[in-house]
Amino acid sequence: MAALFATRQKDPSPAMTDEEYAKFCEFFYRKTGIQFQAGKKYFVDRRVADRIEKTCSESFRDYFTMVRFQVTGEELQFLVNAMTVNETYFFREDYQFDALIGGILPEVARSKRRNEPIRIWSIPCSSGEEPYSIAISILERWSQADSWNIEISASDIDSKILHEARTGLFGERSVSRVSAQLRSKYFLPRPDGSFQICDELRESIDFSLVNVVNPLHTHRFRDIDVIFCRNLLIYFDDVGRRETVEMFFDALSPGGFVCLGHSESMSRMSSIFLPRKFGETIVYQKPLSAE
Amino acid sequence: MVLVKAGGQRTLVLAEPSRDPAVLLADLSAAEPSVRRAAARDLAPHPEAAMALCDRLEVEASPSVRAVLLTSLIHLQSPTVAMRLASLLRSDDVPLRNAAIEALQEMPDAVAPHLRDLLADEDSDVRIFAVNILGALRHGQAPQWLTDVVRSDPHINVCAAAVDGLAEIGGPETLIDLEALRRRYEGNPFMEFAIDAAMRRIRGH
Repeated sequence: MAALFATRQKDPSPAMTDEEYAKFCEFFYRKTGIQFQAGKKYFVDRRVADRIEKTCSESFRDYFTMVRFQVTGEELQFLVNAMTVNETYFFREDYQFDALIGGILPEVARSKRRNEPIRIWSIPCSSGEEPYSIAISILERWSQADSWNIEISASDIDSKILHEARTGLFGERSVSRVSAQLRSKYFLPRPDGSFQICDELRESIDFSLVNVVNPLHTHRFRDIDVIFCRNLLIYFDDVGRRETVEMFFDALSPGGFVCLGHSESMSRMSSIFLPRKFGETIVYQKPLSAE
Repeated sequence: MVLVKAGGQRTLVLAEPSRDPAVLLADLSAAEPSVRRAAARDLAPHPEAAMALCDRLEVEASPSVRAVLLTSLIHLQSPTVAMRLASLLRSDDVPLRNAAIEALQEMPDAVAPHLRDLLADEDSDVRIFAVNILGALRHGQAPQWLTDVVRSDPHINVCAAAVDGLAEIGGPETLIDLEALRRRYEGNPFMEFAIDAAMRRIRGH
């Protein structure tokens, strides 16, 4: 308690007034689709204060001007990196990987020509645990895997976390749900206790920086068969969710699937997808005859 | 190796010139739904296109194009757009009507000027749909408007819809009106059950 009290005493004054906070949130929402409510002011304020200090800006006003008008957009990217949450681990919500292997992929394969690849898109991919988990699940558990070319794309808005994903170094907590057998097959233990994912997996996944509300980033994703988009839409408001889901509709092949996080549902976002139950989970399918 | 790296044949477009709004308006009638969807989405920053989007929505048959038309109209929301969407409450096309209700719920300030008229409509179905809008409308007056319905609407189904809405967004100040409504429908098991459930929820039981 004493430490907590001391921390509170040392808190600097807020970087932003309430009015500035509202302006900042509006700007950040327009750029990223991510919305912060009034209750998140402390979280946002601390991170903005840190960026003000690191950029040697004299005030929030100076900093905000730079973020808005900087030609390279570099500082906006730093800000995005600071504001996004990247907590994840291998085989998180593994019942969705069960659904992928047991139901979704066999169904996708039935409607595919053999010379067409099966395309999977993980967004946001954070530090890479999800796309690597998808790859391992397919290699280990899908009996038809050898009959198909499978492309896994993985995207995130946070450039720093994407670099980590490409690097493929993971701590013990991140791999805690990976069996010893899979660890020995796909990871190289390092002297510092971390685990390096094998090069074959690392090099097989196409990582890219994508802001889902920027059509210039998303329009190259087409003919996707399965999208994993877990725990992203909870950060968006209703309109942002609608736009994202409509973007997924354009990105998917007819009959393609969207897997959302366990606390997310399409029901208030879109009636253009069909809910499908696979085992323990509900996923959303673009109708085969969709248009 | 079953895993093949994606992206080799894809090109990243760094900048795309804005499309001519006149072309986009023409594309709203294109044969391909994907072209109509793209046009509807790209017209979202063009307020002058709002009525054209409303016109297209009234005849559009593709659910996916409708969805994008509505999202763009939410961006372009205004009392005029809300009025056009409100006219769809009379549509016999149930998915379209429900989609219009959901879109109107996303534009509280734009729909607010029309709610009094909708709640006073001679068609009880339209009044029910207006109550449905209120149930999820982020507008400070919404609980009061629902309370007014409970006090004065003569139709049992409209009142029942308002009770459902108040169960979600009503405060303790609405209890007195719910009790009065319960007396009005005394002996009607459905209304007694619905009102009791709403009052329990408002009281936090």
